[in-house]
Amino acid sequence: MRQLRIDLTKCNYGRDCHHECESDCATKVFKVDDPALAALHIRDHGDGKGTAILCDQCGDCVVVCPAEALKRNRLGVVMINKKLCVGCYMCIGFCEKEAFERNPDWIEPYKCTSCGICVKACPHAALEIVEVPEPAPRII
Amino acid sequence: MITVNGDKAAWSPGMSVQDVLRARNFKFPLLVIKVDGALVQPRDYAATPVPDGAVVEVIHLMSGG
Amino acid sequence: MSHPESSTPIVRCEVDFTQRTEYHHGMEAIKAAHKLLAEATFTPTLPDKGYTNRTLYVNVGTREIMEKPVTQQMKDIFLGGRGFGLWHLWNAVTPATRWNDPANEIIISPGPVSGTTQYAGSGKSLVVTLSPQTDIPIDSNVGGYFGPLLKFSGFDALELQGKADQDVILFIDGQKGVIRIEAAPLEPVDSHVLAEVLTRMYAEDDADRVNISVVSTGAGADHSLIGMLNFSWWDHRRGCVRLKQAGRGGIGTVFRDKRIRALVCRGPVVKGGLNNPADPETIARTGIKFHKEMRANDDSQCKMRRNGTAHIVEIMDAYDLLPTHNFQYGSHPDTHRIASPVWQARCTQETVDGCWYGCSMACAKGADGLVLKTGPYKGHTVTVDGPEYENAAGLGSNSGVFDPDDLLELNFYCDTYGICTITWGTLTAFVMECYQRGILNLERTGGLDLTWGNAAADLEMMHQMARGEGFGLIAGQGIHKMKAIFEARGWGDPKLMADIGMECKGLEYSQYMSKESLAQQGGYALTNKGPQHDEAWLIFMDMVNKQLPTFEDKAEALYYFPLFRTWFGLNGFCKLPWNDVVPSDNASTSEPAKVPEHVQNYVDVFSATTGIRIDKDELIHQSAKVYNFQRIFNIRMGKGTRSFDIPPYRSVGPVTREEYESRAERYDKQMMEEIGVDPAGRTTDEKIAITRDHRMKRYNSLVDAVYLRRGWTPDGVPTLARIQELGLDAFPEVVEIVKNHGG
Repeated sequence: MRQLRIDLTKCNYGRDCHHECESDCATKVFKVDDPALAALHIRDHGDGKGTAILCDQCGDCVVVCPAEALKRNRLGVVMINKKLCVGCYMCIGFCEKEAFERNPDWIEPYKCTSCGICVKACPHAALEIVEVPEPAPRII
Repeated sequence: MITVNGDKAAWSPGMSVQDVLRARNFKFPLLVIKVDGALVQPRDYAATPVPDGAVVEVIHLMSGG
Repeated sequence: MSHPESSTPIVRCEVDFTQRTEYHHGMEAIKAAHKLLAEATFTPTLPDKGYTNRTLYVNVGTREIMEKPVTQQMKDIFLGGRGFGLWHLWNAVTPATRWNDPANEIIISPGPVSGTTQYAGSGKSLVVTLSPQTDIPIDSNVGGYFGPLLKFSGFDALELQGKADQDVILFIDGQKGVIRIEAAPLEPVDSHVLAEVLTRMYAEDDADRVNISVVSTGAGADHSLIGMLNFSWWDHRRGCVRLKQAGRGGIGTVFRDKRIRALVCRGPVVKGGLNNPADPETIARTGIKFHKEMRANDDSQCKMRRNGTAHIVEIMDAYDLLPTHNFQYGSHPDTHRIASPVWQARCTQETVDGCWYGCSMACAKGADGLVLKTGPYKGHTVTVDGPEYENAAGLGSNSGVFDPDDLLELNFYCDTYGICTITWGTLTAFVMECYQRGILNLERTGGLDLTWGNAAADLEMMHQMARGEGFGLIAGQGIHKMKAIFEARGWGDPKLMADIGMECKGLEYSQYMSKESLAQQGGYALTNKGPQHDEAWLIFMDMVNKQLPTFEDKAEALYYFPLFRTWFGLNGFCKLPWNDVVPSDNASTSEPAKVPEHVQNYVDVFSATTGIRIDKDELIHQSAKVYNFQRIFNIRMGKGTRSFDIPPYRSVGPVTREEYESRAERYDKQMMEEIGVDPAGRTTDEKIAITRDHRMKRYNSLVDAVYLRRGWTPDGVPTLARIQELGLDAFPEVVEIVKNHGG
């Protein structure tokens, strides 16, 4: 399956970039002018460390979704079918990576689809799309 | 002697909160436990000593019903 | 103890959960036989802040179909759900109306919050009717999609009145705005077949099945007073219909008496904001917070997602509270055979179980791949819902049945025959004890050997009832009427039967031992509808924690909890997410038993849905209006006063020598310490009599304290001052009833 990965030895949490990954994701993928609504987040803890909040396409949300709105596509990427989504936010609550986003103006949540736009935007080449084996579904 | 939920109960040296629960067959998972008024977290049941004369409150929440 | 570090690995059930016997092959012929009897159109509308502001009235006898407005007074006093049900019923019946009169109604109302998809347990429907078992209103809180789909079609409640002259289906199409009454002469009778067929019949394509919910019952409801209603939803992962039950009090019997075969609602496609709540953001935030709490805490707390409510089987046994052999004893050496690890392994774990969208508690477990051994579906492979705790205890330990497959088969047939599992469990326990004590024998049961644990005889009794024959027909009358039948035939001592027949107001007890908890004796017998644990479950607080030492303490608990829990049914909430998981910091709050954070969640979700700002005190006040109205309704129907709040002695203390002796140490100690009588040298019979006298006096002192706290007279009638405080004096008949009864 296609998975977005970050190399934290290359990313320095936005200290010498403008979070291009987040802003391109927000504007180009989700058509919103607010990087806070992007489907990935790079957080600078200010002590030389930081965190990246990314969807690794683990599929836990596929298991908990009561409407079967979350499914893997043929590339193994977990996609939301907005027509089926009932806006229950179980996916948000049960995601251990906190990878779901919610725009208060929309009912349906959203997440990273491993599209790679952020990969192109990153000035440090810290992000990449990799092909990894699909994990077995978990009981949640 | 100790007091558990108002009842007198036997005390033995080295007794832990976990031992009290076992002795009383308190198997319910939703418990609020206080030893002499101090709250004990579930992760600390085995390691928390119950001194002689202690007042132990094992409050069972509701569930089920 | 189930601490996080000691969580046991999940056992996967090896059964293919998509495989079962299929029933829809004859569907076209069944459909072709339908005949349109009446049709009406309406304009589908979505709710505004939780209310559609109209209800639907259907008379299946006169075939009248009518919309009614929801008045501001209805909302202010009755709120919705059970409140709307009681108000419609009050207007439909007179003190002379009985359950099988055409005037009796079945009302289904979801409540203003029902249909919310973000907060767990927000999809309930409340069903109200005059009960064939109690002759007073019964209310039942049920999952499944019907209530939310009804509301999203455009109605805050559905009133069903009259009696049809043939079997009918009521179809409400909330997409097209059409309501039809159709003659349905060839329909299958039992719910697991009927709901499956009708879901496929009324769905326009495969994707539409999820928009269909069917309300139905089964053959048991035709021949008993204990019929229930199954509310369906389409489980698309399993590829079958699932059922949730409006169980108590014989609502299914009324349904069939009206010759309604089924109700079918086709709602609009469900989305996240169809209630058009006043403040969606607060609902979203509160819902996500609760989902996270479930994710973090369920596995170390109740394991509701794995085991459902059956998680407490072994807990009840450990505390001597699991009803065994008709509530004689509280534990059994074979309990491990029906304990939660067995159900965890038997229920499918890799799918989503929730009886409405967004329920992260997801306790609607399903045991797939059961091959039936008896009855009309012998050899069929079926999915059984549950078993829930009540079923495991009632159909299991209380009847002495400890084989899990037998228990599942009993559970399955109760469901598909449309009878209440709780009632069946308690009445079977009663007849088995009658058999043990010689009140019944092989001749009197027509050959049924009702020895404790004989599941084959238990099942045969149920099949007889469904066929309308034999001893099963008598059993299906319930304990209250069985006692009179046995007495009339000269079978057994009426006093003994009164003591061991676990019913109050005509309704069978649910499955908890109240014998050693005075507060719970009141929790059962002081209920409005009859002894169901959904008003108050105080056994731990009272008996184990000793938090309620005085009559006043118990009375306070019997004031607060019944009102708090009534509120779930006014709104369309489920009780379980309230206290089958608690926040990590709950222990350090001032009142952990109330789960303060969750109470605030309910206040917030209600306020955010309706735009009506309330706090936790106003919540209780809202409930008190409906609770007291229901009490007065009972009085109006000729019950509802003190003499109807007296429990059978089995629920208060030891009836028999064996019972006394099984807990002799406890009872002797109480005699010495509480009664001040030395038990030494006394016979068991003397000690039983002394204990009984003491315990009944104690019960009566409790009743005095509870009535006082509730603002009722010593006869249990709400006082005029109390009803004025609640605004119920707006209804002249209410005032008249109260005055006529010394209130």
